[in-house]
Amino acid sequence: VRLRPAAWYVEHDIELRLGTAARRLDPRGRRLELASGELLRYDRLLIATGAVPGRPALLSAGANVQVLRTLDDALRLRAALARRGRLIIVGAGLVGQEVAATAVAVGARVTLVDLAAAPFDTLLGPALGPWLGDLHREAGVDLRLGVRVTSVHGTGRIRALRLDDGAPIACDHVLVGTGVRPATAWLAGSGLEPEGVAVDAEGRTALPGVFAAGDAACPPDPLAGRHVSAGHWEAAARQGAAAARAMLGLPARPPALTVVWSDQHGLRLQRVGDPRGADRATVDGDLRAHDFTVTYERAGRPVAAALVGRPGALPAVRRRLHAAGATQPERKAA
Amino acid sequence: MTLIPQIDESACLAHGDCAVLAPQVFALEQDVAVVIGDGPDALVRPAARACPAGAILLVDRDTGEEVE
Repeated sequence: VRLRPAAWYVEHDIELRLGTAARRLDPRGRRLELASGELLRYDRLLIATGAVPGRPALLSAGANVQVLRTLDDALRLRAALARRGRLIIVGAGLVGQEVAATAVAVGARVTLVDLAAAPFDTLLGPALGPWLGDLHREAGVDLRLGVRVTSVHGTGRIRALRLDDGAPIACDHVLVGTGVRPATAWLAGSGLEPEGVAVDAEGRTALPGVFAAGDAACPPDPLAGRHVSAGHWEAAARQGAAAARAMLGLPARPPALTVVWSDQHGLRLQRVGDPRGADRATVDGDLRAHDFTVTYERAGRPVAAALVGRPGALPAVRRRLHAAGATQPERKAA
Repeated sequence: MTLIPQIDESACLAHGDCAVLAPQVFALEQDVAVVIGDGPDALVRPAARACPAGAILLVDRDTGEEVE
């Protein structure tokens, strides 16, 4: 998949070297060693090596089990869905939810399994977790929450998965959507964190001249009180732009509210701001009609909103949150 | 044609949905969407509503008011 034509890179004086792995970072010599052994010198370096999907050991093998990360993964999943068989999705995060919604719409029988009892609280905030679970159930998704996969049946192909709550569930195809880990192991020994590079809000790492953005980077999360990967396309796009400005010595742009969106069961779901730790949620609209806004407040201040079926309301909601000073979550007391 | 689209550049993330749905009205220029022309409301409204980032405001040409 090419996001830009080859001519764009030439026009902008960018040397594009695909299929080239980085092997080692030498921060003292300001050099990057490639897998070929070639050394590249840098004044500024951006680490944007992304993440790789994780897979539980039980589900690491089988002709009909896959993750969803690449174009090939997507084509393979599409072929499986076209057979309208029984699909088990392990992991009810954004990938699991979106695939479940699409799969039931094209006629597959879908079971969605997650270790967490309330995996739907994240996308639209805790006040709407139960609503989102009901949305999946009413569309025909078989939800198995707060359960673990304990064994796999079948040789070569997975015929069934057994959960710790009882009988095996038969399947034709299995999708694993249990999250990703930063692809930063190659940084071991560089002084940066091989489990995901800690950065500030503009992408600076602890090493001079070295920046990181996207899934490889862990910016500060004031609410959690630590550095964590944001794990979403929107955040990666913003982090890349912020790091580029810092690398060029340009002043930082004012922080923007995070927007996350997902299309599920024919509905546009959007969240703006960070609803974690909210102590009040106010509904405007009709939950049953799938047409509403929920505003989250923390200590009397609006901090986030969730919109369902109301894409046109987002600009006004965002302005309202900005005006109320919701741009930055307050720092945790030290 | 009564709806005038405006791009909130601080919100736009260049997803490009607007430019796909209404190519005579929206285009991507570097990393932001821009308004390049006029179009009927029936084209402009769905293209603006498709924006995942909610970065396209619609203003009624006659009243100057923002519409949802």
